[in-house]
Amino acid sequence: MAGRFDMTAKVVSIREVAPETFLLTLHAPEIAEYAVPGQFVMIRPRQEAGFDPLLRRPFSIHRVHAQQEHIEILFRVVGRGTRLLAKVCRGSVLCVLGPLGKGFEVRPAKIPVLVGGGLGVAPLLFLADRLKGGKGVIILGALTKGFLLRLDAFSLTGLDVLVATEDGSFGNKGLVTEVLNRLLGRLEAESRRQIIVFSCGPIPMLRAVAGLSKSYQVECQVSLEAYMACGIGLCMGCAIRAGRQGYLHVCKDGPVFPANLIDWDQI
Amino acid sequence: MDGQVKGLRGRVDLRVSIGSLDLKNPVLLASGTCGYGAEIEDFVNLEDLGAIVVKGISLEPRQGNPPPRLAETPCGLLNAIGLENVGVEAFIKEKLPWLRERGITTIVNILGNSADEYEELARRLAGNKGIHGLEINISCPNVKKGGVAFGTDPQQAAEVTKRVVAATDLPVIVKLSPNVADICAIAVAVQEAGATAVSLINTLLGMAIDIEQRRPVLGNIFGGLSGPAIKPVALRMVWQVVRCVDIPVIGIGGITTHVDALEFLMAGACAIQIGTANLIDPTAPVKVVQGVIDFMQENNYFSLQALKISS
Repeated sequence: MAGRFDMTAKVVSIREVAPETFLLTLHAPEIAEYAVPGQFVMIRPRQEAGFDPLLRRPFSIHRVHAQQEHIEILFRVVGRGTRLLAKVCRGSVLCVLGPLGKGFEVRPAKIPVLVGGGLGVAPLLFLADRLKGGKGVIILGALTKGFLLRLDAFSLTGLDVLVATEDGSFGNKGLVTEVLNRLLGRLEAESRRQIIVFSCGPIPMLRAVAGLSKSYQVECQVSLEAYMACGIGLCMGCAIRAGRQGYLHVCKDGPVFPANLIDWDQI
Repeated sequence: MDGQVKGLRGRVDLRVSIGSLDLKNPVLLASGTCGYGAEIEDFVNLEDLGAIVVKGISLEPRQGNPPPRLAETPCGLLNAIGLENVGVEAFIKEKLPWLRERGITTIVNILGNSADEYEELARRLAGNKGIHGLEINISCPNVKKGGVAFGTDPQQAAEVTKRVVAATDLPVIVKLSPNVADICAIAVAVQEAGATAVSLINTLLGMAIDIEQRRPVLGNIFGGLSGPAIKPVALRMVWQVVRCVDIPVIGIGGITTHVDALEFLMAGACAIQIGTANLIDPTAPVKVVQGVIDFMQENNYFSLQALKISS
């Protein structure tokens, strides 16, 4: 596998962009150079030597600024590791391993529809950046307006941005899947074949996105997460249920999978 | 590259022999934490290490346990992977050539449901170039049949060992479980059955509960605890076993730094295996080798033997 690096990266900035949700910018030249959308990094959530917390945490790469050699990570505080990470300061140094895993497979001949719910927008901005200048649609969803993440950044990509909030405080009232359903439902079968869906978000949302894509016969790729120890295929810990193939591993077979490989009833 | 050892040809002699198995240094990668080698090669120059013990191999491929398979604990890691592996035929065809072509000293960890299966595995692996030793896994806590059952009863442990030793010309290392009343009794039994060496400890049986969901964290309920949290227990058991058997003892259990490694070597281990540390930092094994060399040079220890505490 070309270009995986175990490196120290300086914190360029960290800021809270929504409640308990942080945008972390790191100076990581090698990772910025080699990463493709959908890939992830493992970050040690403490600066000091020591063994607690023991493991690095996986984060998808939110965006890359190639010229500045920066990578961005968008994360929410969900436990002890992310709470520690949220406290790092500008100028401090973190151990970062990456870029890891398989990213999105972009098909230049197709029209991309990106569907992100909640923190699931994290890997999609990098993808949207790479799709800049072409045709495409981004559907962003959140519980409420205050939790909508990176709307400005997504809008700057020039792709069409549709928004859904569950309480109707911004954009369409409802779920991203309802917006996707209307969008795909409007198209002729011929046009639908031109579409490819890229999605990331909570499992119930991904299950619905995968279901819609299947019924409309649209190709769909999803980005999944799992508890991980190593991130590089050593421990086999990040297993998820696939169809007849038994288990797949999020760190090396994914984190991006063709939606039809996943056993959506068991996951 | 980070993963290279400097000064290997210094005045410190790190070579160690375990039966007919000659190692350039005493630092090995533990089974289940280094895949089949290729997964970790970007970060570590495997030729700089004593040996790699590859992921446990069974006769048939195994899917492993339902997720979640991991839970982090203070300074530790619980796992219940369930010996997911490609099976012996795929190992020989798809994984072994890679290791052989690079000249990597390879020890194959084997796992069966019965003494017959262990014997059959030894037989299938025999005659394949590129395998330098076998490690019998009689101590995995995460599978219902086999595994740990053979590791907790001296007679069964001896029987499995005897059958494998008879079926192979390779050095046979028996990996012991700490989840027993008297680890020395098992160690003595496998020594008498012809084991070349013992390695210890495998993981300690443990569990974690998610209080929000009010259910066990692991899909398998129980898992094996590893990492720095278990090092004192492992060190104590290695100290005990070194003093009750005559065969070489390979120390395993939470070894993360060269200080940990030196503690085990001083306790009397002839070599050590690095496990969970690979998952946290894949360059850890090389740093351990370097740290051991530096310590020995600074303190005028010229051989591993000189490190051992004799009492």
